[in-house]
Amino acid sequence: MIVNFTNAAIAAITCWTLGTLMSILSRRTPALKLPAFALSFGGSLVMAAFIAFYWVLLDRPPLRTLGETRLWYATLIPLVGFLVEYRWKIDWLKYYCMALAAFFLGINMLHPEVFDKTLMPALQSPWFIPHVIVYLVGYVLLAASSVTALHNVSLQVRKKENLTGESVSHYLALLGFVLLSFGLIFGALWAKEAWGHYWTWDPKETWAFLSWLAYLGYLHAWRYKIDRAKLQWYLALSFVVLLVCWFGVNYLPSAANSVHTYSQS
Amino acid sequence: MVDLPRRLFQSPWEFREAGLFTAVAVIAGFSVQYAGLGIGIPQAHLPYNALFLGLFALAVISAGLAFRNNAFVKWLGGIPLGLCLICAIALLSLIGGIIPQTAPAPGSRPALLGLNQIFSSWPFALTILLFLANLGLSLSWKLVPFKVQNLQFILFHAGFWIALSCAIFGAPDLQRLVVPVEEGKASNLGYTMDSETPQIIPFSVFLQDFSLEEYPPQLLLFDPNTGKIFEERSKANILVHKGLKASWKGLDIDVLDFIPYALPGKSGVPEPADRTAGIPFAKIRITSTNATVREEWITTGSPFVNTKDAQVGSLFLGIRPGTPKAFRSEVTVQDETGNPSKATLEVNHPINFMGWKLYQMGYDQKAGRWSKVSLIEVIRDPWLPAVYLGFFMIMAGNILFFWNGIKRTEGAS
Repeated sequence: MIVNFTNAAIAAITCWTLGTLMSILSRRTPALKLPAFALSFGGSLVMAAFIAFYWVLLDRPPLRTLGETRLWYATLIPLVGFLVEYRWKIDWLKYYCMALAAFFLGINMLHPEVFDKTLMPALQSPWFIPHVIVYLVGYVLLAASSVTALHNVSLQVRKKENLTGESVSHYLALLGFVLLSFGLIFGALWAKEAWGHYWTWDPKETWAFLSWLAYLGYLHAWRYKIDRAKLQWYLALSFVVLLVCWFGVNYLPSAANSVHTYSQS
Repeated sequence: MVDLPRRLFQSPWEFREAGLFTAVAVIAGFSVQYAGLGIGIPQAHLPYNALFLGLFALAVISAGLAFRNNAFVKWLGGIPLGLCLICAIALLSLIGGIIPQTAPAPGSRPALLGLNQIFSSWPFALTILLFLANLGLSLSWKLVPFKVQNLQFILFHAGFWIALSCAIFGAPDLQRLVVPVEEGKASNLGYTMDSETPQIIPFSVFLQDFSLEEYPPQLLLFDPNTGKIFEERSKANILVHKGLKASWKGLDIDVLDFIPYALPGKSGVPEPADRTAGIPFAKIRITSTNATVREEWITTGSPFVNTKDAQVGSLFLGIRPGTPKAFRSEVTVQDETGNPSKATLEVNHPINFMGWKLYQMGYDQKAGRWSKVSLIEVIRDPWLPAVYLGFFMIMAGNILFFWNGIKRTEGAS
């Protein structure tokens, strides 16, 4: 391949690194703010362009394997960081987001996947794209929420003032939960068309349900006015359940009979 | 006045009581499961399950409305108990998410505790029932008196209640049968996964034609003795097409010609054939580092034509049939009065007939493209519309949740 993943990933990570450095420098030199943003945003644009290129090359949406979902994840998560900065004037989240994106691209570089154009018949459905994209955006928001919650915890420990942090992590979790619900239901509607039943307690379904319950629990705890400082711990850890659902399931004994095993790494 | 810490069971009840209550319920569930020696929950079919569910809903709603100021009922429908039950459902699901949910060895401890069938075990059923009661009570208080600002709450919670209860109470009415049909024949016999005795379905399926479309074949370099397949330089899964270039260490391959459907011809050159009989042939040029160049026709083979690979030293270069891209059955379904109706069944494109859904499920995998048998799954689920109603209510509630969330943060900032 002429445009290959490694080059795209290196270009994106370089953009994010330079953007981060420049952004830190821009605290003293405000004139650097715009180029810093342009560079950081450019990293995601590089990845978006690569996904578009890869989509054409594969003749199918690159959403089948875990590695392919990580591409989308790495592209989208910095955007959440930029949006949060724009919306709440919180500038630190984007650094975590870019670091996470680089981390996921790093995993892909260490575990190159076999380039494979085939798409099994069950995945050839109009539900394929909405189901996966809704989930990915949900995961991205919940990762950002989890990172914000961790940051809140560290501020608590250092006894620093933190006015908006808890509402940011909450709002990201709320948005993420809405998308998880849609992802779960889209998945159920698709399963009815493809496999005959909307719910079969397939291990991936069970873990998706567990992740959904984790955030359902969080929202009720928040509503009941449980100490919100403590809830930051809960939010930070909930993401672990999501990660099991996303990657971990494949390594569990229950995965042997899963219909969600199109992945190779 | 000294503010003493609240003792257990001192009113108002909260999390500790809820946690204890939930734990007792789960332990009771496991005890029943164990004492029942693995016997499942009694299964009620229509109309009895619907009747029971209706009465249960009525009981919960009227209890909620009649005793809305009673401290115990308030606690029973409150968030602390709800959260504890969510935790219990999550823990039970966790068991189901880790331990394979397959038929266990009879008499083993996991079997006696229902761990291999956790989602149809007593502890799970009991927890769900309590959860439905808790959810139903909280719902009754938001339903009466009705306020527009409670709409999001009502849609989400009622949707969840309906979807969950109908999925669980309706499960015994779900019928899933596999109907194997041979080309040119009709069948009205369906099999379940766990029985060899067929059941008669109220219509027959006649199979005109089964067809399977494959992705292009894959080009492979392998060691015939060990079966090891060598990765091509680009690490790609190589699908054969005319003009393809592939390379391994010390070996370059050019695909000079590719015929997707052909049969062996005279003088060794394959001749194009029709789709039903033809198989893929590729003409390849092999260039090795020691500068030898040769050209050769290779083929995937079929049940009727031998596979032909090219030998390269001690290794073989061959093409293998691609994975299925699509498979479909042309069928005629006929009800008892003999009304025929033609349809095409394909994965992801089921058809509806007499309240049943018909799915293209599988075929004879050994025969692949030449399969004369199609496996058609027929499914009847009379509770589906109710479950879907629940799903759509949850989604509507979620849209409002999202919208209100935005409005609230905008108001706050």
